[in-house]
Amino acid sequence: MLSFIILMSLVICFSAILALALNFQWGLGGMINFGLAGLYALGAYACAILILKLNINFFWSTILSMLLVSLVCALISIVTLRVSEEDYFAIVTLGVGEMLRLIALNEDWLTGGALGLTGIPRPLSDSIPADIYIYVFLATYVFILLICIFLLNIIARSAFGRSMRAIREDDVVAVTLGKNLLWTRARIFAVGGLLIGLAGSMHAFYYQYIDPTQFSNIVVAYAIMAVIAGGKGSHFGVVIGSILIMILLEGSRFLKEIIPGLGSDQLSAVRIIIIGVGLILVLIYKPNGFVKEYRLNA
Amino acid sequence: MQIIFNGFVTGIVVTLPALAITLLFGVLKFPNFAVGSMLTLAAYIVFTFNVLFGLSLLFSTIITAIIFGFLLILIDQLTFAKLRGSSSITLMVCSLGLGFVLENIARLMYGNNAKSFAIELARPFLFMDIRMNREQIVTIIVSTIAMIFMYVLLKHMPIGRAMRAVSDNPSLSLVRGIDSPLIIKWTWFISGALLTIGGVLIGMDRAIEPPMGSSYLIVIFAAAILGGLGSPLGAFVGSLIIGIVSELSTLVIPPNYRIGIPLAVIALILIFRPQGIFGKPNIKK
Amino acid sequence: MKPFFSSHNLKAGYGSGDILKGISFDLEKGKVMTVIGPNGSGKSTLIKTLAGLLKPSSGDIFIDESSIVGYTSPQRIKLGMSYVPQEYNVFRNMTVKENLQLANEFMRSAKKKKTQIIDDDLLDLFPELTSKFDSLAGNLSGGQRQMVAFACALAYKPEILLLDEPSAGLSPKYMGDIFEAVKKVNELGVTVFMVEQNAIEALQISDKCIVMANGNVKYISDAKILMQSGDLHSLYLGDA
Repeated sequence: MLSFIILMSLVICFSAILALALNFQWGLGGMINFGLAGLYALGAYACAILILKLNINFFWSTILSMLLVSLVCALISIVTLRVSEEDYFAIVTLGVGEMLRLIALNEDWLTGGALGLTGIPRPLSDSIPADIYIYVFLATYVFILLICIFLLNIIARSAFGRSMRAIREDDVVAVTLGKNLLWTRARIFAVGGLLIGLAGSMHAFYYQYIDPTQFSNIVVAYAIMAVIAGGKGSHFGVVIGSILIMILLEGSRFLKEIIPGLGSDQLSAVRIIIIGVGLILVLIYKPNGFVKEYRLNA
Repeated sequence: MQIIFNGFVTGIVVTLPALAITLLFGVLKFPNFAVGSMLTLAAYIVFTFNVLFGLSLLFSTIITAIIFGFLLILIDQLTFAKLRGSSSITLMVCSLGLGFVLENIARLMYGNNAKSFAIELARPFLFMDIRMNREQIVTIIVSTIAMIFMYVLLKHMPIGRAMRAVSDNPSLSLVRGIDSPLIIKWTWFISGALLTIGGVLIGMDRAIEPPMGSSYLIVIFAAAILGGLGSPLGAFVGSLIIGIVSELSTLVIPPNYRIGIPLAVIALILIFRPQGIFGKPNIKK
Repeated sequence: MKPFFSSHNLKAGYGSGDILKGISFDLEKGKVMTVIGPNGSGKSTLIKTLAGLLKPSSGDIFIDESSIVGYTSPQRIKLGMSYVPQEYNVFRNMTVKENLQLANEFMRSAKKKKTQIIDDDLLDLFPELTSKFDSLAGNLSGGQRQMVAFACALAYKPEILLLDEPSAGLSPKYMGDIFEAVKKVNELGVTVFMVEQNAIEALQISDKCIVMANGNVKYISDAKILMQSGDLHSLYLGDA
């Protein structure tokens, strides 16, 4: 039971960071990233490839993969510079995510294709004794999560954060006030990209093997639900949302016990249907989640 | 020449779904990401009538078009209708979730194995040095007839005018006596028919399996955006261009990455001419 | 003479608070009422609520002593009301002819039972439009668009015509034409309720006038009396 909780907590840590990234780009920046799954994969694969094929240590692999994802996000933002419509932006991000997924699937020489990459070593697994490793690992992940929240809170309360909120509330007004709309959006998206890369790397270290099926589009649905359930905009709320979604997810694994005779393909289909329906229900009935957003008193 | 022909066919297959996206965007004001899985589900329903009940493909398509039209109206009432007036992002996210649900309902009911329609095999033939097969000819003829019909509907029939009015200005439409909710239902019904035909045409071209429609999503959006979201003629022209360019690109790019072309097209359009070929520039109030 | 068109303590707003704080008025059949007041006084909100675009939070609206507050805009058209919004009042991507066709189609399907006030020579009021039938409404000049919007509203053969700042942004020539048209339409028996910034021109063809400020009716009076009183200027600017 304890090990189950530890494993769940580890997954919650990086899932929450992914949700925080989405929240940052969407809740605070007003840009929805439908390519989240593909970018997440990019982070995980980049980190894994750097470690496995180029023998770079875990620290730099993580940092480099974060920068890579951030760069791709910045590029996406620049391409859509001329258009401030959220519609087109969403379509482009979906396309990019799809493209990344295809690369992961097809470039066998780099990514192992459908089989993926295995044998990813956990950081410092040689140096730290095996019996306490998992606790150190957990502590590290929780620590990273807390740092992320801390830094995001600082950004949100800074002048940069105020610009972002102004733009999100009414971009025409914000532009009139002189805030540089497009440059700010590029920075928002890039910062989100750093977090996505981080989450991807943490994912790779946790599972120690990665393949394309781990990064299917349903990942976006989870992240969106976590953000909405926690109340868009609030960082702590997002973490709570992630926990709720994780419980929902794990709980649905037990469907197998309740409904006999379901093959595993069908079971995963049912789980996805539940997530999809859940997402729609949350949008209709609980669009504001449960936690309030920090607001500067006027 | 062969490549141009293939491109033409590839393009014309997505014309009807692109038109559906354009109609829905005009009336509901957001891009609908569930369209891919709607294509898939429609194809499966046709499959059910065609293969499981033994009806002819034509008859199956007609029955399904009607059923699917009503099904979409029902789905709209349960989902998007409850979010009418919400932000574009909310509606897009809803459509994303809906897409997952529809695709996996198909997966649940029909499994992951590829299926195909019951059509007689016919040998490809040669016409003016270009190799064609019967399915391609059928696709071209059906799509063209459907497009002509839609053109007449939108330009000359009262329902088409009402749809264009609601797309142009929803609140003015109310004040001019147009029953917006009814027009929305009609739009869904018509889109349902278009998507059914589109699903059948795609299903004739390749195997029917759960991810079938979604894999076309980016291509359909590219065609609609290239032509100008909101312009039916644009949907037609956009699809053909995308189809031909995609085919030509296989000369230089490995086939697996063909999706890169529509994506690149979207990117270029957004940089140089966001309203597409026939669209109107968006005026912010 | 009993009121034909009236409201009682109408309150409405767009979300957090009410902009209209309780508007009551009555207007006899065949008369012209003009609402004037500074920006932000709630004139536009009032007319949108009367037209059915905004649901009031409380209060009532009556046509011929029947309450219409529960009716949608299309239903209000059947009851004899027609509305010309201030801006975006034509379908820009459709031709003038198509804009008018929409009205005709509605009339055919609505089977309106009321007697017609405007006959089919509607376009005699707007001779300039006959040559522009096949132009896209969005390509016309501001004044011409206003003509189209007006013509469309009249095509519903209304008994009550609501106009939101009909002369806004128009050159003096078109402004004159529009007020001419309003006067002619009223002479045929249509009851007119309009919101206007150009107080002088509007009052010249009006019977009654309301001055609004801060969501309230500050002053109701006969239009001629108000024009002669000389208080117009200060009332209009919201000093009193």
